[in-house]
Amino acid sequence: MTASPTNDTPILSAQGLSVNFGRRPALTDVSLDVPRGRIVSVIGPSGCGKTTLLRSFNRMNELVAGARTTGAVRFEGTNLYAEHVDPVEVRRRIGMVFQQATPFPKSVFDNVAFGPRAGGFSGDLHGLVQEVLEAAGLWPEVAGDLDTPATSLSAGQQQRLCIARTLAVKPGVLLMDEPTSALDPTATARIESLVDALRESYTIVIATHNLQQAARLSDMTAYLDRGELVEYGPTETVFTNPGEPRTESYVTGRVL
Amino acid sequence: MGRAVTLPIRARARFRRLGALGVACELAALASVAVLLLVAGALAARGWGALDWGFLANPASPDPAKAGVGPAFAATLWMGIVAWTAAVPAGVGCAVYLEEYAPKTRWTSLAKSALANLAGVPPVVYGVVGLALFVRGIGLGRSLAAGGLTLAVLALPLVIAAARQAIRSVPRDLREAAYGLGATRWQVVRRQVLPAAAPGIVTGSCFAVTRAVGEAAPLVVVGAVSLTTFVPMRPGDPLTSLPTRIFDWSARSQPEFAVLAAGAALALLVFLLAMNAAATFASGRLERNGR
Repeated sequence: MTASPTNDTPILSAQGLSVNFGRRPALTDVSLDVPRGRIVSVIGPSGCGKTTLLRSFNRMNELVAGARTTGAVRFEGTNLYAEHVDPVEVRRRIGMVFQQATPFPKSVFDNVAFGPRAGGFSGDLHGLVQEVLEAAGLWPEVAGDLDTPATSLSAGQQQRLCIARTLAVKPGVLLMDEPTSALDPTATARIESLVDALRESYTIVIATHNLQQAARLSDMTAYLDRGELVEYGPTETVFTNPGEPRTESYVTGRVL
Repeated sequence: MGRAVTLPIRARARFRRLGALGVACELAALASVAVLLLVAGALAARGWGALDWGFLANPASPDPAKAGVGPAFAATLWMGIVAWTAAVPAGVGCAVYLEEYAPKTRWTSLAKSALANLAGVPPVVYGVVGLALFVRGIGLGRSLAAGGLTLAVLALPLVIAAARQAIRSVPRDLREAAYGLGATRWQVVRRQVLPAAAPGIVTGSCFAVTRAVGEAAPLVVVGAVSLTTFVPMRPGDPLTSLPTRIFDWSARSQPEFAVLAAGAALALLVFLLAMNAAATFASGRLERNGR
């Protein structure tokens, strides 16, 4: 996939981004550009700051008491951490899919409609719900009964529902925080092909501890270790010809 | 013979299955249930004879044969409504603020521990507060409204504690998912947290109000030993109540009044149990609908 020259400005850009939880640093001075229309994967060992990085892109970290963010995240050129920016608006533009599928204890329809309703959507809600359920590949399985409780779906279906729910707010960027780590291989494969299909219309940042997944799906890969961005570049380079010894030992499975 | 042999074997098998601590806990549970049954049984044995339609409808009277709990029962019902209306919205609002909005400062943690301690203040103290605040302070006099509000103040910390507990038990993931979809704090509270916490809030707050309504001490202080002879119809009507009626009768020397007191206590117990059962039922419905 090649970006047209006019789309060269990054859609999302972290600049000197640091996040602390109380005294504990979670991210230290991370700078990285997410190109428009690409899939960027964030890899690294557990606790390296993958989740914190993703959550700083849509200002979710501040929901945790004691979280402090410095530096900037620019989305379409605007610093999301500027004084006048409303985090609610940020989260409507930059959607997030969590590690654990968390369907609301409501019907399938109400789950998908939650975001649009919260945003004051005033169009064809049924049409929108069908559209995003189709985009998430869940429509054939739930079309017969949108009133069925979301909690009665299988784990894989629940995660696809959560993706549909996020798509329904029409975000510009999709953040996915280890979306398949709680799923079996079949459900994982379905989510992966879904992510692959979504690359046509979305910029996606996906955190994963599954290296094959990162290699299969992403155009760019960022390797984080202990809150620092060790290496960031085209996925092929990061996996086959990394510039940093730390990256090499991680992607080849050697423990330092 | 067979029984004498099988019982110890069964007991030993039980011991092996549950362990010493398990058996001790089981005995404690049995003892609690036994006490409850004993209370209900003793009340029923003594007071059953007093219970008839006349007793439930008649006003209190110096003549035990004519005396009843009509006005007292209605007054307790009234005060329950007043207490619920005043305490539940305020208590739930306070709990929502403390759990979802309040910044984590020293002041909020001070407020939280103050509220927790308030739940342990003896009911009679609330009577003094009610007398100063409602009867004299805002001039409600010795009325049902004053009594109901006093009970509301008594129930308030219990409602807050129950609602906070229910709100805290809503999974964090649910909140984050809603925030992640661009919901405002109020939308998260209104659409996710409160519905998920509703079953716990309903049972907790109803138990708090029934607990308050069953109290005699604060109402005695507020001034509720009047012999009301008509069934109260307005919040401004003179203060009386079922618990204070029981208190009054049980203090008299004639044995007939002791029977009446037991009958009234039985009526109060059945009423409160019915209210709690209704709350549990409503909460169960809410839980099913939420799924």
